[in-house]
Amino acid sequence: MELLFNNRDPVYLQVVKHFKERIATGKLTAGQTIPSRRELASQLNINPNTAQKAYKEMEEQGLIVTEGNSPSRITGDTAILSRIRDELLTEAIDMFLASVRNIEVPPEQLLSLVQRRLESNRSEPSSERGGTE
Amino acid sequence: MIELNNVKKRFGFRTVLSGVSFQAPKDAITCLTGLNGTGKTTILKSIMGLTPIHGGTITIDGSPLHHTSYERIVFVPDQLPMPGRMTVEGCLEFMSDHYRNWNPERAAELTQMFKLGLQDRVGSMSKGTAAKLNLLLALAMNADYMLMDEPFSGIDMFSREQIASVFSSELVEGRGVILTTHEVKEIEHLLDYVVMLDNGRITKQFACEDIRLAEGKSVVDVMREVYET
Repeated sequence: MELLFNNRDPVYLQVVKHFKERIATGKLTAGQTIPSRRELASQLNINPNTAQKAYKEMEEQGLIVTEGNSPSRITGDTAILSRIRDELLTEAIDMFLASVRNIEVPPEQLLSLVQRRLESNRSEPSSERGGTE
Repeated sequence: MIELNNVKKRFGFRTVLSGVSFQAPKDAITCLTGLNGTGKTTILKSIMGLTPIHGGTITIDGSPLHHTSYERIVFVPDQLPMPGRMTVEGCLEFMSDHYRNWNPERAAELTQMFKLGLQDRVGSMSKGTAAKLNLLLALAMNADYMLMDEPFSGIDMFSREQIASVFSSELVEGRGVILTTHEVKEIEHLLDYVVMLDNGRITKQFACEDIRLAEGKSVVDVMREVYET
């Protein structure tokens, strides 16, 4: 696990987000065991207290469950898991919209610009692959 | 918890601490920061009883400092205090002979982790290696609190990273750490609390995650605000 932290957002929330992204992309699945707090701290190079705080937050949000002394797992509640993807997307879109608000671009134009950008991004990696063949 | 309450200290006519109060919980990493000569080291030495204070109180878990307190607190000075002719092995034996709370298994583990050669002599070590040995001598003690004076200063990037990795490991778990540094940037995500000093006074103290959450500021941002104005 590689994670670069920015110093202006709480580290524990960045860890929570990191887990959400891994869940949303299927790298972590329902019921899967996750590292202990101590392991996570040394993997991500964070203070064990911060790892503890991140796990507590994820427990409160219902993302992970810990029963007795057994290792924590990703929840089996698929409703919660499917909500994560929506939540991450909504958050990212809101940030994007906030950053383009000052440019005052009409919605239709914005949408077509985004679409064009997506298409050009999509064609770049494929042309790269074409080159190596 | 180590608690300082209105601690005052003079060197001759010069006031070096003018009423310093803060708490450093067990189970947390507290960083004393400030520009050079603001009293950071003096605070650590006062806690260790290495220099007398002229006012205020220092307590550990609610009790005043007592000679037995020092079985629970270790101090890592900014330079390795061992003679140049001594080998790493000699240092470890010295600690084992003189300290009841020395943990030889942990010392062996750390010797490996820091890749120290047992026959290497203190006098011919690089600064980074000496800093690691210095830290090892404290980490291998069973103590509740660790005070570290500038553990990151003047050493290369890789040694700094290795030392920083200590703060994300079980080596500090359950212990209270107070460290001083003026180079917060690379380690700020490892800190729990920051106490900022200027000229023997506390200018600001806060929990790092709180200031990020409430104000969206990094520790370095806050330092700029405090020291550049």
